[in-house]
Amino acid sequence: MTEPYAVQVPRGYRLGVWEVREPIATGAFGSVYEARRTDGGEELPRTAALKFLPTGTGTPRQLAHLRELIDREVELHRRLRRPRLIRMYDTLVVDDPDRPRLDGATVLVLEKAEGSLSALLASSPRPPAGPALLAQICEGLAQLHRAGWVHGDLKPANVLLMKDGSARLADFNMAAELEGTHAYTPAFSTPDYTPPELLWSEIGERGRRIRPSADVWAFGVLAHLLLTDSFPLPGGTPTARRDAAAAYARGTDELRLSPELPDGWREIVRQCLTRTHEDRIATDDLLRRVEAAAGTGRSPRLPRVLLPRRRSRRTTVLAATAATAAVAVLGYGISSWAGSGADGKGTAGAGTEKVTSATYGASELRTDKGVPVAYRRLIVDSAHDCVQPEVTPALIAALLKAESNFDPDLSDPTAGEEGEYGIARWTPSLLRWYIRADGVPATETPRPPLTPAESIPAVGRYLCFMEPRLEQTGLTGDRRVLLAAAYRTSTKVVNAAGGVPPKYRAYATRVAHYLKEYTPPGKT
Amino acid sequence: MYSIIVVPPPTTEDEPDRTQLRLAPGERLAFGRAPGDNDLVVPHDGVSRRAGAITAQSTFWLLSNLSAHQTYVVENPEGAGEHIKVGPGRLDAPVPFEFSRIVLPAAGDLLAFDVWAPRHDHLRAEAGLDGDTTAPAFSVDRTKRYFSVLAALCEPRLRGEPHAALPTVDQVADRLRPNWPAASRTSVQWNIDYLAVKLRLKPGPETADTGPRLNGKKESLVSLALRFDLVREEDLVVLAAPAAREAR
Repeated sequence: MTEPYAVQVPRGYRLGVWEVREPIATGAFGSVYEARRTDGGEELPRTAALKFLPTGTGTPRQLAHLRELIDREVELHRRLRRPRLIRMYDTLVVDDPDRPRLDGATVLVLEKAEGSLSALLASSPRPPAGPALLAQICEGLAQLHRAGWVHGDLKPANVLLMKDGSARLADFNMAAELEGTHAYTPAFSTPDYTPPELLWSEIGERGRRIRPSADVWAFGVLAHLLLTDSFPLPGGTPTARRDAAAAYARGTDELRLSPELPDGWREIVRQCLTRTHEDRIATDDLLRRVEAAAGTGRSPRLPRVLLPRRRSRRTTVLAATAATAAVAVLGYGISSWAGSGADGKGTAGAGTEKVTSATYGASELRTDKGVPVAYRRLIVDSAHDCVQPEVTPALIAALLKAESNFDPDLSDPTAGEEGEYGIARWTPSLLRWYIRADGVPATETPRPPLTPAESIPAVGRYLCFMEPRLEQTGLTGDRRVLLAAAYRTSTKVVNAAGGVPPKYRAYATRVAHYLKEYTPPGKT
Repeated sequence: MYSIIVVPPPTTEDEPDRTQLRLAPGERLAFGRAPGDNDLVVPHDGVSRRAGAITAQSTFWLLSNLSAHQTYVVENPEGAGEHIKVGPGRLDAPVPFEFSRIVLPAAGDLLAFDVWAPRHDHLRAEAGLDGDTTAPAFSVDRTKRYFSVLAALCEPRLRGEPHAALPTVDQVADRLRPNWPAASRTSVQWNIDYLAVKLRLKPGPETADTGPRLNGKKESLVSLALRFDLVREEDLVVLAAPAAREAR
């Protein structure tokens, strides 16, 4: 710890169901601590990050604007839940008159991350996973912008890395909802990531006017930094770079990007760092190009490079080659890629061929083993919507085969208390929690018949939800098969049994059999 | 995106609204007697045809003295006599003041015009020098007169009356006189106008007229200052009379 914590919370401090553990980070205003859940409830994860913001009356510095910054963050979390944004589980207020410095503090209970992008860059500049991370960061931006919000402070410190190596956006203190083409944000900014039109911009009563293109500029800076370990604008200090940005925007200077920037990325960074906001690339187009350049396809599939645990050396090298190949292909003309990147191939190698439903996702799901063509796209896309590497198209297909033999009209009203329906044998009251793509439970329990278009993506989401909840060690058997078993029962039962419970062995064997059959040769 | 403002000298008797010239970093403004070659014409026979140039550099500026024999003086009007001299032929001399008055000696007369550098950066208590830190977009010098004016404007609301009426310009002048004997209606108004420039207040439709009624501008300044904690309760010590300060 190099600087004093803005809010000091003793280890072991209890707040609701949470017990404070190690400090994680501190900013100028607030501090973040790891916390462990002390009750047995299932709705919340075992650990979380608690962000303490001193809003009490006894805190040493009374900051009027802090309240506004917190309100923005809480408002965004309440309104938006997206896979690439860090999640907020709850907000609490400390009620502890004996500790005047803590009393009244606002506490955000946030999803716990493993680290931040700025920490990663400090330890390993130009990380090999850079392109994949950029694709995920851009996806987060696209999710925000599509929902009508602007982040307003995108920078490495505000990109968090999860346990599986995937990236999520965090710190929404500057975020604002668009009103027409603009949003109003507090007049704070990080100089190195501020677009030139916002340098010394006018500030009205409601704050400063900002457009989504400000995030696009920041993304361009971040991409350049991540890929070349240098800022795109010259200068040894933030002030010098700010002046360079001003000179560039005025047209007195050209943009000279680092020669180390790969060609495909050079064009992308250039389209982000245009002199005026009008010329900047739209976020959705940016996302398509970034995903093409990163070789990640349309969906947020992580290359194996990012996944340190339980991966053999060989797959790591393979994935790295695939990413390089994608970048090389880009040299042939980015325009042909902008379109083909959009129709969603799972892998980079299949870049230029047209894909029909019958061969959709062929590199991950065999085409000759009887998976119905009608469901291929749903199965492959649903698997890709999950960042967990275990949730593969082959696993979802094997699970559907074992559950219903791909029968979309399955109806089994006698199973359990309320019956099981459709191609994935969903129990309707459970499906309610996973039927919506935005992660919000549906307001009503769905009623049968349940269509494949509802059932299959929900399977992907449910498996994705369960994967981190299976014990990391101490379980025997293929993790994917364990996931299927948990789908049949629950993660709790599988964790308690230390593997597939005896009652579900036959089911698990069938899943394992089809999993092997549907997986193309050479894939794990 | 400008960082430097040049206020030309008054030309005729009373021309209240002189057009200010704004320079962005890297931009240059030449001044002198010849109408064709200069961006700012100083019509006096004692001034060289090409007298000098001002170059905006980051948040400060550089003065070049192109005259053959005259030394220019750059004064800090708030600096109790603080000044720098720029000799003939000296190019790109950096000027560190936020407010400057360039004085040109011209055949017995002294001609002066003002240059403002409202974008000077100041360290905030909470943040370091790191370009990675999210920083507020404002930077004020708490030792300057404009800060005292801002503090005096915010005082009633900071003392716990959130909807208190703002003090009038005359009241502000009275409030500041113990520390600033020369405070007058004009000088206070000048500082309010400068604050609006410095804090980059977006001119609202109703404040377009530059008459003596500054209510809209004052109101906007105070709400901005309080919203972003530019002035806090502890800053009100700048209003305390010198004797009271010694008594602490």
